[in-house]
Amino acid sequence: MRSFYIGDEVQAGDAGCPDLAVLALGGEVDYEVSPQLRTRVLRAIKAGRRRLILDLTDVTFIDSTAIGVIAGAVERLDEAGGGSMAVVCTHEKVLQILEITGLDSVITLYRSRDEAVSALALAG
Amino acid sequence: MSRVPPGSNTVTASASELHIPARRSELGAARRYAGEVAEAFGLDADGCYEFVYAVNEAVTNAIRHGASDEQGMIHLSIVADADRLTFAVSDRGTFAMPVMDSAETSEHGRGLALMASLVDEVELCIEPGGTTVRLSKARASESARARAG
Repeated sequence: MRSFYIGDEVQAGDAGCPDLAVLALGGEVDYEVSPQLRTRVLRAIKAGRRRLILDLTDVTFIDSTAIGVIAGAVERLDEAGGGSMAVVCTHEKVLQILEITGLDSVITLYRSRDEAVSALALAG
Repeated sequence: MSRVPPGSNTVTASASELHIPARRSELGAARRYAGEVAEAFGLDADGCYEFVYAVNEAVTNAIRHGASDEQGMIHLSIVADADRLTFAVSDRGTFAMPVMDSAETSEHGRGLALMASLVDEVELCIEPGGTTVRLSKARASESARARAG
């Protein structure tokens, strides 16, 4: 199993979307590392990002505390005046977990980062 | 660990224990332990993943809300019967019943629901001296049958 990582925030979309950013993470996201995820997501919102994409393509495991962080981020965006958040995921078991928790009802899931970027760029 | 063929009358095929410090950095070790036992028991890949996932949630709960013993440890065990694998985690804390928050954007309260979805049985044993959470998954589990349609 691959250990956890979280990449630097990547600007996505064209120059017309300065508030759109992608955070890519990978490996196993559990209670040990979910505070790092929380810090990074909240930092992005504080920096003015209102369209956030979490790219979980390389994530093989995501626990309830990390799902809580993602759900909490949707709430923070609402408090900050609204925004949108998307998750990119292809791992079947991770998708199953997202469905069980109902996260797929508050966040749109995409199979590829390009698809998510296009959708959120249009959502502006 | 020996594996008992299906249909054996042996009540307990094997049992193993793991004592870990009640720290979040130990979660990976708990998952590896559960994964190795589940694989040796013969759960299929999906079954192993689900068992390990539920174990991780139970151990997270013990680290988060429980209390370690005087040595700072929590105790994990797995018993393999002929037809099911049962995991238990014990801590010295008083189980904090999750506040059921229906808001999907709430940060907490998903662990128990996830455990219940991924294994066949979840049992909470709350005693004055501590809390034990038991999870069991049958060799041919309900979830596997559901997946098979």
